[in-house]
Amino acid sequence: MPERTVTIASSVGLHARPASLFSQAAAKAGVPVTLTTKAGKSVNAASILGILSLGIGHGEEVTLSADGDGADAALDSLVALLSTDLDKE
Amino acid sequence: MADAALTSLLAESSIRLDAHATDRLDAVRQCGQALLEAGAVDESYIDAMIQREHSVSTFVGEGVAIPHGTLAGKEAVKQDALVVLRFPDGVDWDGNDVRVCVGIAAAGGGHIALLSQLAEILLDPEKAERLRSAERPEQVYELLTPEDED
Repeated sequence: MPERTVTIASSVGLHARPASLFSQAAAKAGVPVTLTTKAGKSVNAASILGILSLGIGHGEEVTLSADGDGADAALDSLVALLSTDLDKE
Repeated sequence: MADAALTSLLAESSIRLDAHATDRLDAVRQCGQALLEAGAVDESYIDAMIQREHSVSTFVGEGVAIPHGTLAGKEAVKQDALVVLRFPDGVDWDGNDVRVCVGIAAAGGGHIALLSQLAEILLDPEKAERLRSAERPEQVYELLTPEDED
């Protein structure tokens, strides 16, 4: 299964605004995307509550995985999103 | 700070279970007003909350929204605090029906831990339903008190 590991760039971590933007993008990815923390907890990347429950801070590494048609492209665009400081408005 | 209990940040006077709002920005303003009355924020924080709401909806699912300020608004936070406003008639949140707003004021990194605890609670559909239908402040406190599982 294609997967990517990425470091959270948002200065305050993956919380409300970045988490919203990320989960919305994951929901539109066309394939189910799973986000897994270094501690091994996995959630559906399209669930904002799931993402928030992980309490992911700035600089933490997470792994995204997806399967199916377009999985690689979807992961690439989501990785790009997490590599950006989404708190900058 | 990371382990701050949700309940310790929520004054009983900040739980308003019979609120009514004309629209989502009105609901956000009421959350800001409640935080202001709790002595947690300066008035400018309310504008920061409205800005955040314009930028990205704070709707998180399960009939719940979590209005809070922008990063720039953090300077207006005097102390971390929560408010819980319940809207029995619902508020239209960009097409989503919101019944409960948890307004958040957080100055430092406590934000993430707070949201994480809150999200854990809301991920349990039964607890989310209990929050949406709470009629007494004690019920809200009970829900926000961490269970000593495992």
